[in-house]
Amino acid sequence: MDTSESYQVRLEVFQGPLDLLLFLIKKRKIDIHDIPIAVIAREYLEYLNHKESINLDREAEFLLIAALLIYIKSQMLLPREKALEEEKDLRQALVERLVDYQKIKTASLLLKEREEEELQQWKRTFLPPLEESDEMDFIEVSLFDLAESFFRLMKQREREETKTIRGKEISLEQKMREIVEELKKNSYLDFLEYFSRQESIEEAFIAFFSLLELIKSRIVIATQESHFEPIKVWLRKKAYKRN
Amino acid sequence: MDAKLRDIIESLIFISLEPLSLERMKVVLQEFPAEDVEQAFKELQESYASNDRGIQIIQRAGGYLLSTKPECDLWIKRLLKMERKNKLSSASLETLSAIAYHQPTTLAEISALRDVDSTHTLKTLLQKKLIRIVGRKKSPGSPLLYRTTDKFLAYFGLNSLDDLPSPEEIKKILEEQPDIEE
Repeated sequence: MDTSESYQVRLEVFQGPLDLLLFLIKKRKIDIHDIPIAVIAREYLEYLNHKESINLDREAEFLLIAALLIYIKSQMLLPREKALEEEKDLRQALVERLVDYQKIKTASLLLKEREEEELQQWKRTFLPPLEESDEMDFIEVSLFDLAESFFRLMKQREREETKTIRGKEISLEQKMREIVEELKKNSYLDFLEYFSRQESIEEAFIAFFSLLELIKSRIVIATQESHFEPIKVWLRKKAYKRN
Repeated sequence: MDAKLRDIIESLIFISLEPLSLERMKVVLQEFPAEDVEQAFKELQESYASNDRGIQIIQRAGGYLLSTKPECDLWIKRLLKMERKNKLSSASLETLSAIAYHQPTTLAEISALRDVDSTHTLKTLLQKKLIRIVGRKKSPGSPLLYRTTDKFLAYFGLNSLDDLPSPEEIKKILEEQPDIEE
């Protein structure tokens, strides 16, 4: 058959054996109700021959139809005295299956068009769902932002501060615990407000490093609703449970 | 007519993630007479139809939704940084139409219609909530029965199952294009 060489179609593009049969029928412009079994059977088998191997899981159905076609064809070839009812019945059953399948196939093509149209009309339903997270849906503040706003505050304080009060010796660990305690009491700390409330610059520095330490060990998180908004420090929920 | 009621209805449709039915609107707007709600809704629809707006009210799965217009698709995709929305595979589309036209139906019936084992496709469609299990067939093995969902209707822009392509429509298409399309 010359068509098989010039016009190869991979078996994989067909949904199933009926799809392949319909394709062959359409290609030859044959009336679906009056299929020349011999011709179609030959072409069908040629398509199967293009495959080097048949994956029985996926393509067993292709073989079943092939067997059916061959069977109907063989029945037709046999000399017979009375018309074989079985052959007619098998043929008729196959035609009915093809007609039913053709309807579904056509409907599915129409649905595909509807899908295309509908996808161009955006609805709120199509907005991606909000991410499920145990954190607030804020921007996580980078170390850079934190440092910048801290040093800006400290410069301000420097100017204001006229006399230096000897700060009490305070350790990083103490300060970290203090911050966590505060966070347990009030759900969050306002970053700038917290530092400006420190007694001395020294203490503010220690507080700042404690906070960095807490962020690093993922006990707290610094967020802001958007850039230039106040930075807030939160206790991470998981860390809260752990402690 | 009370402009305020119209505003309320508009905001209800706006905020609904699923098609909002007239019945549901009436329940929510309990302090207003049902006829007023209907009237206000009609006016809202008319106003959307007459004004040149980028947003439209569409009827899907028995309810109403606000949606953008197809001609704005390009820029919406650019804004949302979405190249192309996932579409259903041919296998899914075929299986869906088999179910849609023969529901309630079973896995065996669908597989027979397509002449392809449809177990996997059915599973995917269930996950996507485009079909649902409605019970078991009273036949040997009592196989599960499947139906399409409201989400299926909304997905394909249908208001009800009556909006599915009719047998006549399908017949017409089959007669129109006897040639193959690859």
